[in-house]
Amino acid sequence: MMNRFNHLPTLKVDTTQKIAFIYKGKKHYGVKGDTVATALYANGIRIFARSLKYHRPRGLYSLDGECSNTCMEVDGIPNVRCENTLLEDGMVIKEQNVKGSAENDYMSFLDKLDWLMPAGFYYNVMHKPAKIWPIAMKQIRKAAGLGKISPDYEMPGKFDEVFLNTDVCVIGGGPAGMMAALSSAQKGLRVILMESRPWLGGFFEYRSGQYKDRQALHERALFLANEVAAHENIRSFTSTSAVGTYNNNLVTGFQIGKKEDVFDQRYIEIRAKSVVAAAGCIERPLIFDNNERPGVMQIACALRLAKTYGLLPGKKAVFSIGHDLGLEAALELHDLGLAISCVADIREDGHDPELLKKIEDKKIPLLKGWVATKAHGSKLVNKISLASVDGLVSKSFDCDLVVASAGITPVTGHITVAQGTLKYDNHTGCFLPDQMPEKMHAAGRVLGLNDPLSVEASGTLAGLQAAFDCENCSIQEIGEARKALENLPGPVRGTKLVTAPVKGRKSFICFDEDATIKNIKQAIEKGFDVPELIKRFTATGLGPGQGGIPGHNLPLYVAKYQTLPDVSIRPTNVRPPLVPTLISTYAGVNHKMFKITPMDEMQRKDGGIFRNLGVWQRARYFSNDLTCKKEIENVRSNVGMLDGSTLGKFRIHGSDALKALQRVFVSDMSKVKQGRVKYSAMCNDDGCVIDDGVVVKQGENDYYFTTSSGRAGQTVEWIRYHTRYDGWTFALVNLTDSLGVINLSGPNARKVLEKVVDIDISNEAFGYSEYKEFKIQDTVQTRAMRLGFVGELSYELHVPSSYVKAVWLMLNEAGKEFNIKNFGVEAQNVLRMEKCHIILGQESEQRTNLLDLGLGFLWDRNKTEAKTVGAVALRQAENDQTRLKLVGFKTENNTRAPRDGALVVDEKVRGYICTARDSFSLNEAVGMALVEGELSKIGTRLEIYEDECGDDRIYGKVVKMPFYDPEGTRMKM
Amino acid sequence: MKEIQRVSPVVFKSTPVKTKTRDNWEVVMEYSEEGDGPFLVDLSHRPRFDLQDSNLAAQKPFGIEIPETPGICVLEKGVLANRMNGTQVSLYNLDSDDTAVMPDESGYTDVTESTMCVALIGKNVFSICEKLTALDFMDPQRKAPFLFQGPFSHVPCQIVTLSKEGDISGLVLTCSRGYGRDMIHSILHAGEEFKLTPAGENRFTNWIKEL
Repeated sequence: MMNRFNHLPTLKVDTTQKIAFIYKGKKHYGVKGDTVATALYANGIRIFARSLKYHRPRGLYSLDGECSNTCMEVDGIPNVRCENTLLEDGMVIKEQNVKGSAENDYMSFLDKLDWLMPAGFYYNVMHKPAKIWPIAMKQIRKAAGLGKISPDYEMPGKFDEVFLNTDVCVIGGGPAGMMAALSSAQKGLRVILMESRPWLGGFFEYRSGQYKDRQALHERALFLANEVAAHENIRSFTSTSAVGTYNNNLVTGFQIGKKEDVFDQRYIEIRAKSVVAAAGCIERPLIFDNNERPGVMQIACALRLAKTYGLLPGKKAVFSIGHDLGLEAALELHDLGLAISCVADIREDGHDPELLKKIEDKKIPLLKGWVATKAHGSKLVNKISLASVDGLVSKSFDCDLVVASAGITPVTGHITVAQGTLKYDNHTGCFLPDQMPEKMHAAGRVLGLNDPLSVEASGTLAGLQAAFDCENCSIQEIGEARKALENLPGPVRGTKLVTAPVKGRKSFICFDEDATIKNIKQAIEKGFDVPELIKRFTATGLGPGQGGIPGHNLPLYVAKYQTLPDVSIRPTNVRPPLVPTLISTYAGVNHKMFKITPMDEMQRKDGGIFRNLGVWQRARYFSNDLTCKKEIENVRSNVGMLDGSTLGKFRIHGSDALKALQRVFVSDMSKVKQGRVKYSAMCNDDGCVIDDGVVVKQGENDYYFTTSSGRAGQTVEWIRYHTRYDGWTFALVNLTDSLGVINLSGPNARKVLEKVVDIDISNEAFGYSEYKEFKIQDTVQTRAMRLGFVGELSYELHVPSSYVKAVWLMLNEAGKEFNIKNFGVEAQNVLRMEKCHIILGQESEQRTNLLDLGLGFLWDRNKTEAKTVGAVALRQAENDQTRLKLVGFKTENNTRAPRDGALVVDEKVRGYICTARDSFSLNEAVGMALVEGELSKIGTRLEIYEDECGDDRIYGKVVKMPFYDPEGTRMKM
Repeated sequence: MKEIQRVSPVVFKSTPVKTKTRDNWEVVMEYSEEGDGPFLVDLSHRPRFDLQDSNLAAQKPFGIEIPETPGICVLEKGVLANRMNGTQVSLYNLDSDDTAVMPDESGYTDVTESTMCVALIGKNVFSICEKLTALDFMDPQRKAPFLFQGPFSHVPCQIVTLSKEGDISGLVLTCSRGYGRDMIHSILHAGEEFKLTPAGENRFTNWIKEL
């Protein structure tokens, strides 16, 4: 294990606390605060993985997870971004995308075959002859993708979610973000601050340069972080990456939990009135040959390895940089003991003179106008070639570390995802925000600023602009803040160099997808002349890092290679999630929210097998016999109990209640008599049936009606919508959950019920299609209906939900002597099908109208003044012979029933099976189907096609409906 | 004849230590190990009514002036009146000593059985809520009591915030009775990290007196 610095004030690791982990089967140690990547680095691991296409060795590069270089398998989870994942005790870490090991990968020969794989090769070379493609495709798919996961893999861990509201959301916890948060919070606003690293401070936090008045930048970072923490209006979320920004300032992100948190990761959704985008900058990769060889890393990576994690990144280094941060890093690392052979700076001039003097004082060789051209070493860097930027002169240095960076590039994903636009800035050489989305403000290095005071001042300004959006700040205050910023140094000049003077065969522009400069040239030569097309042809930027590595360089290179007069083209679009994370994090807690009926507990005790049906959980079966034979036979011959509580139930009352009913029901509802039940249906404007149910009159202008379970949630809105211009007075209340429904059915139903109620329920006193209200045991107010949905003597008891258990138990007790049994939804489905009673959605789909179902008798054509919904369309459909008709059928030769949804065919599709079952009551297979009119005649032979049946068909014959008890004597008994 | 008992849609696993029978409901007054809060209290047995009228200004349910603006609520004489929209108001009787009888006038419907009703009271109440809903309870422009009609754990709810004051924060939530089991599960799960525990009605009665 490498020695660590333990004296630096910027350290975020505790070197006294060791953490054990397993890498390739062996125990290693990191320290508290290490990421997986830094712990591996501290243990001398330099090759973390192999690249996607060429299996090139890959190592630490950005330390911020900007590319897939350090994606590894951790505790069985592939593609874990090791630079962003804190080390935990006992972690098991494995390499991925290797055959053999990362050190010795048998597939590394592919790197030499790059000439066989030009840009878009799979579009070109494997299609002729066409028979090659299936073979090639298999091999490509085997090789493609990073990491392996089983399809039935269950993600371990705890996932949470939180939905936040705030006035101002600040993305980025660097100096600009913190200043923005403070200035908004000081205006009394609620502020949320999101920072992807585990601490606040941004690019101040690891640097020792001077902020002001001898205060170091890291001291300033700490000061601001403390200010933020102390402000009660600011909620800071560290280890939290913003992954999406949307309309109306919806910001999404995820937070990585600490050990003491109740979550490993949690999804965060923030609704803000205003957003400040202050995510800072990343470095623009320097493009030269083998620019991703382990040992080559960015400036901040090398510096943070030392200053944050206490690890000297190498022994002997060469710097190839294009920004003052490179000089600053060289000085700091030199002071920490890194031997620096040379600093090659792309710039000829424009350096910070103070830094130049220090470089000179420390005798660090500086080459102005020079750049790295090639990293040498088969697996790790052991030498670097440098050349003047015009390529005329060259030099080589032995080294084990190359610190390389072309400059900086703003992190603008949060702006562009929210539809903000960027514009190339000739001074900084960066793509800077042009048009900002509404109520979003950029601050800090995103604007190209570099001076610490300017960065902070821009944060203050953005915070006030956000406060203005929240109507808590004056124009004058904003004007003053803007003036203060203008009096400070503006953006610094940036380098324009796109690539070192190399051919580019091994100069990588996108690490994730192994895309080289040569590939880009190939794409352009094929006519793909803009980055969005090149991205798709070469896969550049399609990896998990999206635009992190190639984002800035690609448009610059495309402009240069085509000798465009200016950089008018833009970086490719990035999309959420801007930072990759687990799908489990998006799933969050995933509470299953279903409704249960008041009989749920008793039915489960009785062995009910439940299924999710719409918003409800219902008992579908009461045994493992999914044909429900015993349940069905019990209802036909004895007595059964069904839970019908999911039915929609409504009260409509008030002086215009009847008018509203007339509007939405097809029947003449003025004919609903007290004490009687009326069955009717509702249609939509197309005459298609949307609902059916029964209506009873409870009193003057007071009705109670039921709807199907699936439509109950929409019924109030439906009726209100269709009466919205009438100014009618009525109250409409959804009582679906208020009342449980027990359906007591079978020839012995009366015998059971009469033991429980005190009223006369003989057929004469309480006949078929009648309605009664009574109390059970002087307590339970009950609405009772004589219905016959299952085709037997039936009582539907509507009971207040809290009393349902009591009534259920009474009926069970009363039914003991008859051996009363439960029956479930499937048994009911068969029973009613035998009787040819329809269920909407089963015997209908959204185009099925009232007439198609044979329910035209419900429609009262004479109540034109009611303007019944759907009546106009029904009139037009009356003579339409092309519509499907509902028919009953029996299968030929007593073959089994076809599956629901099977097609009725001849040369073409002529209809479909709605419901069909092997009927135990009839001893044959019967069903209902929607078929074209000409097939609806009695006796027509139906040819039925099931999925994957081949040439085997089931044949049926159209017969009269209903199949069971056609006279209806059993339900009227 | 067996005594008939009503069943609440809310079931807690905690052990009741004090109960009271009221209108056939067995109301738990106190549970064992209620802790220091926050608390979740079942109020499903408290009478709740729906009033609809095109001229609500003319109505004075239980003598209460109905707020003019939807979303605004009034708590008076133990009755909470929540203006839902232009023509509708929901009424919760939160006074345990009074079994309010529904006014025998047009427009009223007893909806006690339609919904489950719980109170979520004590510290960190809104931290629990933000794990379940995007509704902004801490919006400084909303003064308690106020009504939200929106999703809570993905389920349409009526939520009345009665206090936003630190440790005595609290709200009353109703949703379709059928969601009782899953709603309680999701609230208790979200509240685990804040030590949310089920509590008896006494806890709510004492709390509402403090408001």
